[in-house]
Amino acid sequence: MTESELPVQSVRSMPSRSRQLRALVALATVALLSACADTPLDTMAPESPIANEINNLFIGVGIVAIIVFVLVQGAVIYMARRFRVDAPDDEDDVYPDEEFPAQIHGNTRLEIGWTIVPTVIMAIVGFFTLGTLFNLDDVSASDDQQIEKVVVVGQQWWWEFQYHLDDDGVADIVTAGELVLPVGEEILLEVTSRDVIHSFWVPALNGKRDAVPGRSSPWTIEAGSVGRFPGECTEFCGLSHAYMEKWAVGLELADWKTWAANQMADATAPAEGTDAAAGWEVFSAQCASCHVINGLTSLNDTDAVDSVELYDGANRLIDKQTQVSGAAPNLTHIASRSSFAGGIFELYENVDEVDYLDLASAGDLNRGQLEAWIINAPEQKANAWDSPTGQRGMTPFEALSDDDVDNLVAFLMTLD
Amino acid sequence: MAITEDRPLALESGEVTKTNTRPLGALTRPQSDVGWASWFTTVDHKKIGIMYGVGSLFFFLVGGLEALLIRIQLSQPGNNFLSESVYNQVFTMHGVTMVFLVIMPMAAAFANYLLPLQVGARDVAFPRLNAFSFWCWLAGALFLNTSWFLGGAPDGGWFAYAPNTSATFAPGNGMDFYAIGLQIAGIASLVSAINLIVTVLNMRAPGMTLLKMPIFTWMMLVVQFLLLFAVPVITIALFLLTFDRSFDANFFNVAEGGSPLLWQHLFWIFGHPEVYILILPAFGIISEIIPTFSRKPIFGYPFMVGSGIAIGFMGWGVWAHHMFVSGLGPISVAAFSMSTMFIAVPTGVKILNWLATMWGGRLRFTTAMLFSVGVIAMFTIGGLSGVTHAVAPSDTQQTDTYYIVAHFHYVIFGGALLGMFGGFYFWWPKAFGHKLNEKWGKINFWLMLIGFNMTFGPMHILGLQGMARRHHSYAEADGFTQWNRIVSLGSFVIGIGVLIFLFNIVISARAAKKNPVDVGPDPWDARSLEWSTASPTPVHNFDSDPTVEFQDDWWHRKWGTDDDGKIVRIAHPEDIADDGSNTNVHLPSPSYWPLVLSFSLPLIGYAIIFSLWLLVPAGILFVLSFVGWALEPADDPEAAHGHHDDHDADHHDADGVAATDQGASVG
Repeated sequence: MTESELPVQSVRSMPSRSRQLRALVALATVALLSACADTPLDTMAPESPIANEINNLFIGVGIVAIIVFVLVQGAVIYMARRFRVDAPDDEDDVYPDEEFPAQIHGNTRLEIGWTIVPTVIMAIVGFFTLGTLFNLDDVSASDDQQIEKVVVVGQQWWWEFQYHLDDDGVADIVTAGELVLPVGEEILLEVTSRDVIHSFWVPALNGKRDAVPGRSSPWTIEAGSVGRFPGECTEFCGLSHAYMEKWAVGLELADWKTWAANQMADATAPAEGTDAAAGWEVFSAQCASCHVINGLTSLNDTDAVDSVELYDGANRLIDKQTQVSGAAPNLTHIASRSSFAGGIFELYENVDEVDYLDLASAGDLNRGQLEAWIINAPEQKANAWDSPTGQRGMTPFEALSDDDVDNLVAFLMTLD
Repeated sequence: MAITEDRPLALESGEVTKTNTRPLGALTRPQSDVGWASWFTTVDHKKIGIMYGVGSLFFFLVGGLEALLIRIQLSQPGNNFLSESVYNQVFTMHGVTMVFLVIMPMAAAFANYLLPLQVGARDVAFPRLNAFSFWCWLAGALFLNTSWFLGGAPDGGWFAYAPNTSATFAPGNGMDFYAIGLQIAGIASLVSAINLIVTVLNMRAPGMTLLKMPIFTWMMLVVQFLLLFAVPVITIALFLLTFDRSFDANFFNVAEGGSPLLWQHLFWIFGHPEVYILILPAFGIISEIIPTFSRKPIFGYPFMVGSGIAIGFMGWGVWAHHMFVSGLGPISVAAFSMSTMFIAVPTGVKILNWLATMWGGRLRFTTAMLFSVGVIAMFTIGGLSGVTHAVAPSDTQQTDTYYIVAHFHYVIFGGALLGMFGGFYFWWPKAFGHKLNEKWGKINFWLMLIGFNMTFGPMHILGLQGMARRHHSYAEADGFTQWNRIVSLGSFVIGIGVLIFLFNIVISARAAKKNPVDVGPDPWDARSLEWSTASPTPVHNFDSDPTVEFQDDWWHRKWGTDDDGKIVRIAHPEDIADDGSNTNVHLPSPSYWPLVLSFSLPLIGYAIIFSLWLLVPAGILFVLSFVGWALEPADDPEAAHGHHDDHDADHHDADGVAATDQGASVG
């Protein structure tokens, strides 16, 4: 990106004010150019009506700010040029006695004027702000909603999504890292946390909402178009705060129904004698104490907790070898996902043209990364699996043989 | 147990008088006020101010180094220059250092040095407490930084959101050092606030009504009141955190019914006034510099004062704008969104008044003036970006991105720090008797300004592109690489600018030593009382108590109007300024005890962290220093050293002239 490097060189060799001005203009131009650059987390590239409304408000306020910016900077530069008195050659010299400007102490009318003007500007900005604020808060569910709500649970360092398709209070789908949404439906979210505070954010679709332990904060999300939209954790949450991503995936309604039906199905044990069956044995010995696979393991077999109420963040867990961060991701349909390890690694390669629902069948497994993750997760992504105050994050499994790992991967790939 | 003592006067000449009787015992007051050792016992507000300045510049280098480490880490995508754990410690300490160990003490340096001078007093109201404030701050600062060598620095962010700072999620000692270190530094702020409030309210020169005080004094007074009310809030929050971590309390523990949001409210009820604590001193400084170098009085003095007070009040009603995404509910968000917008009004009034002061003036762009105009330009950017995130819905997109990082650096670096650098250049001759080199000063300014904009300007764009704060790294695919390279480059340009400032200090001092130039009492044709006495300021400040008739009294002593209303000189500064020759002034004596008491506090901190047995020696030292302080020989001119007034080196006149004791105090 050569245009980005331009201002560096010009600004650094900038002796005079006018050249500095030109550099500013260059900088602004570059800023505009780079807005077109490929930045998937862009806050100003809305893909939903909500994000669009926020963006429009920001642009409006931004224009007001830029006008004030130009006026103030213009005044500074103008005055610096017009009223400047060149320093005497002798730097210790003071002004000659005779040269005094008019000694004006103030002007009450002006003062009142420039108190009122910003007040009015702020009132106008405030008017539109409040309008948008309450408008966004007003969520009206339509009768043909596919999803009652999604409970979004943050924990160190991944996101769980519990879909409630009806109002029976039982999660119908539990998945991790990827929030799959039918396009055009505004979905109610309940955002919470099992340990520390996280923040849920998919910039293309909506702003942020903190996931606070012990609280359930309402939020909404809508995918305005088919696509895969990245999001990151934005409330500092410890070691792997930077590596706690999530993807919102927008699917056409029919596709979403296919996806949902598949997600609700239990997994079945692999056929006897296959690699996958050997992998299932490794899994049940090594992994099932943390990870749930619906139909094969149950919550009762694991140390995992399945709801927010079981959160226990205090020192109480020091003696118990359990995860203060709550459950490890539910892996029932891991092979149907596009990413793993808290959304940071792609599960499949060469899938740019592949539909989300066809990933498992059409994509190339990112095998090396997956195996590296299984063998030594803390090396791939910092965590606190060995913390003296309770495990947070996945343990390394370096004792697994190559065959074990291969079989395990074969088994996981049956979970589509 | 008060031991009558003979001790020397604090004299500008610096000579130490021989005393008639040499008292015995540990509780005598220290004698000397010259030499390196005297700095440890001084109660002189000017020396304390200089020590605050040196301390804050030292930690500025530390915090700057931390910033450069962050920028090296972020200069490449997927970088592993710092591990996640170290990165978290470094950005936490960068924030803590810059706020509590740089900007606040730097402001305290100016306040200590200048407030007594600007109000025409001989010292602050409580000189020993003043020394205690400094040593206490230094003790807290050093304590905090020893964490690097004792198991790791704080790693929960300067905002330390619970429960990520609990013993469960932050099992190391770092957050204990944070809680206790800031607690100790907080004592310093609180004590200093009371001291300076009393000084300004009670020790103004005759005739200086409140509305004749310099704007700098006014802004510092507002800041001290903010500190007085804000510091107790963080004190409570830090105590709760310490008790949660060290004594199994559950204030922020959800499982036991505690509330993580309680911490956020407490932190930001302190934290937002803190923002104005950081910026108002710089507003005061440039309100002195701009009129001086525009050759005009400040425009709209009552409005400048009033807007400062308004900011002080409104600053208490905006804290929850730090929590727009925490799930407060729309009514709260709406209310805080509005209050945040309207705090822009008094700030805007200030900017317009500075511009109006410059308008039609005769602007002389000295380095101090450049920095001050830089503040107007840069702070405006920070203020405007601030308005954009007072807009709560768009703040949900921008909060915790680099857009916010850009915003508050434009406020704190572009506002507070540039302003105080201007203050250094402006008041340097008053404190040290020589100017800083103007040529290097201008290089210093332009490098810092350009580096600053290179560093923080692109952060607006990065933030809008979605780059989140406090992230250890980013991916190539995020598209942040190019701007981050520019940002990292810019941070090193700032670094060079800062080194040039230090270089300038050294070469200016050398040049002044080699070839002394008398800068006179008033090298800039300035306006307030500190310029009415010799440079460097004599130890007793003023030869005689100043009396004040006008706002900008000193200027009115130099300049008058003739019959046509034309401004004419009525006196030259050299002729009417105090020359520091009066030795007939009683001053408070130095003392060991502020230093000793201060350094008992970190010991208590180590006790809480490592072993409560340490409380025994720490407690003994603590109590002992209190007793020592209380029983220290009285500072009574009659009993102690009245006969030393008006002394010369070998002649002691038993009939001392009654001391002018305007600055004497019970501190």
